[in-house]
Amino acid sequence: MNKLITITLLILLLAIPLINQDKDTRYENWSSNILCPVCQGETIYDSPSEYAEDMRIILREQIDSGLTDDEIYNYWVIRYGERIITNPQRRNLEMIVLPIILISLFILGFMRSTKDE
Amino acid sequence: MISNIGIIVTWISFVNLIFLLFSKSNLQIHKLVRLNLFIHFILFCLLEIGLFIDDFSISYIANYSASTTPPIYKFASLWGSLDGSILLWNFVLSIYFLVYIKYFHKKELLVGIKIFSSILIFFVGYTIFSSSPFAGCIELSSIGCANSSLLPFENLLSSEYGRGPNPLLQNHPLMAIHPPILYAGYIGLVMPFVISTSHLIMKKNNNEWVEMAEKATFFPWIFLTAGISLGAAWSYEVLGWGGYWAWDPVENVSFIPWLLATAFLHSAKTQIRESTLINWNYSLSCLMFLSTIFGTFITRSGVLISVHAFSNGNIGTYLLIGLSIFTAFYLLVGSKNTQYFLTAKKLNNWFGRSGFFIANNIVLFSATIVVFVGTVYPIFYETLYDRQLTIGRSFYDTLVGPLLLILLLLIVFSEKLPNKNLNLSEWIKGNQKEINISLVISIAMSLYYEASYKFIFTIFASTVLVIILSKNLLSYIKKGKISGSYWSGQIAHIGIGIFAIGLILNVTQSYSKEVITSPGSTIEFGGKNYSINQPYKESKDEKDVINLPIAKNNKIKNASLNIFKNSSQQAISSPAIFRNIESDTYVTIKVIDEEYFKLIIRKNYGIFIIWLGLAMTTFSIYPRIRNE
Repeated sequence: MNKLITITLLILLLAIPLINQDKDTRYENWSSNILCPVCQGETIYDSPSEYAEDMRIILREQIDSGLTDDEIYNYWVIRYGERIITNPQRRNLEMIVLPIILISLFILGFMRSTKDE
Repeated sequence: MISNIGIIVTWISFVNLIFLLFSKSNLQIHKLVRLNLFIHFILFCLLEIGLFIDDFSISYIANYSASTTPPIYKFASLWGSLDGSILLWNFVLSIYFLVYIKYFHKKELLVGIKIFSSILIFFVGYTIFSSSPFAGCIELSSIGCANSSLLPFENLLSSEYGRGPNPLLQNHPLMAIHPPILYAGYIGLVMPFVISTSHLIMKKNNNEWVEMAEKATFFPWIFLTAGISLGAAWSYEVLGWGGYWAWDPVENVSFIPWLLATAFLHSAKTQIRESTLINWNYSLSCLMFLSTIFGTFITRSGVLISVHAFSNGNIGTYLLIGLSIFTAFYLLVGSKNTQYFLTAKKLNNWFGRSGFFIANNIVLFSATIVVFVGTVYPIFYETLYDRQLTIGRSFYDTLVGPLLLILLLLIVFSEKLPNKNLNLSEWIKGNQKEINISLVISIAMSLYYEASYKFIFTIFASTVLVIILSKNLLSYIKKGKISGSYWSGQIAHIGIGIFAIGLILNVTQSYSKEVITSPGSTIEFGGKNYSINQPYKESKDEKDVINLPIAKNNKIKNASLNIFKNSSQQAISSPAIFRNIESDTYVTIKVIDEEYFKLIIRKNYGIFIIWLGLAMTTFSIYPRIRNE
């Protein structure tokens, strides 16, 4: 009986985010990864400043008019340089791959030296 | 005068350390270590006296203090910039030297004294040969000093005013606490380094060294936790940055020793119990110290630009040389002990206590790798391609986020880990009620807040953790016997769980907006009304403060702008914070004019919960103090 309650509750919990599906994810993804150039290390998604607001309006237009990711990327990087993008790992995949390789090597080595043969 | 005395006393301390390096009698060692501490205390006092009597013939004081600086910030100016902070560093290192010989030194391990004195000689050497806070001014600039001399008895020039400390550092008394506490954490990690290397050099191959190193790590770890937390509080509560952690490189390098020390505190226990992981523990005990030097190198060498980075000429090279020497030493001692490392027992209960401790180590060390890569990669990238990269939160969210979640899940089981493998279905049966309660809470929270999978997993893991561990803790408190490292661990774990709840609320729910308003008007934000009153100006010696009183119901709080005299830096904004358990309304001034103001108003969720969790983690010192 107790088990049944737990499983029901768990399914309920896991279903909640499905109802909450946000349609605006593309805009959010982009805006939370473009740096506001006049604010201290804030993205235009976080920053309440007017400058960021102007940038948000441009971004909104770009996404509504269906620009590709590459087109959006080029627009911002040409104007502000590479450092405007705060998720460089999307294009510089080595940034994700490198830690993952290092972690795998570490785990492998660690296991080999501690595991009972 | 003070400049001369300071330089000469620094030399005396250097000579004293050389004596210490070569002394063999235990009694003499004890005397010399005390003398060393006394000398460094004198140096500390000398510079403080210089600061308080405004001795601007000392270059450091002319450049980082001013006659108008309030007393508490004069006091704190000692560690307000590089040269002075090295003086504090050496003072704290000397305190730890005494702690080391009192609690962790064994007569037959003379080599420990040699290692410790060498490290101290290295840092004192910097203040003698490269750059000293006592250096006298030999060339004035318009304000402060342009050029200084490391030799005593020069003809010194004294500027009329001092430049004063960096405005960021004289805005709140937390400045007087955050750096020394952090230092007490960092520098304490020298002890496990000395303990493990000295034991292994002398082939003291039992588990005693790891037990001592663990003890010597715990208290610095507490200071590190408290220091990092205070830094977060400072940037959020005082500086008006709106956040508490920005994955700034300097924050990262303070986080790396913390991660390593946390890993070591766990893996040491495994070795003490089961004689496993010997080489791993040796490495961790050294890496903690090496990562501290690395962090200092990163922040003080000028390779990075950051709010915390103050660089000065050749400290980078100096630290890099030191880092290489210490690393070579660690590798050399390790390579001489491969036979000993091979005696380590292997593990067979991967789903029992040791397995969990090892999983914890894997997670924490993986997080270290991620933070390290994230900090260092932009430097390499810029060197290679001559282009700048920004590594933002999303990088760490992607990689550290899942690791934190795994860690929370591991902690859930920490309350009662079996020696043999854990039987999961029995465990679920035993904790069915707690699991169900947590599920209900998670569902309620997920319905109330905007919930993503990231949100529900974190909330669920942390509520299960907090409920199960707190129940256990409370039932023991009734019996009145919480002491020892088990309960320290439990309290720290509950703290981490509470912290994670605050963190996920903060990361996923917070929002902000910019408003333009004028005195007498009311702003509506987050369903509440805030009325804006007439601003007023306060004039102090060192700064002008513009206060803007903001009222919510009957509560009035000031948001303010601090404009420092003697400084070209922009004004510092201090927030008005209306807090409740769930969220803060956080108002900072952006622009203030005769008729209108531009304010930033944020809803920051979970801050109180975050502080509570961090305070609880720091409080984990209590059961161990009772025990030891």
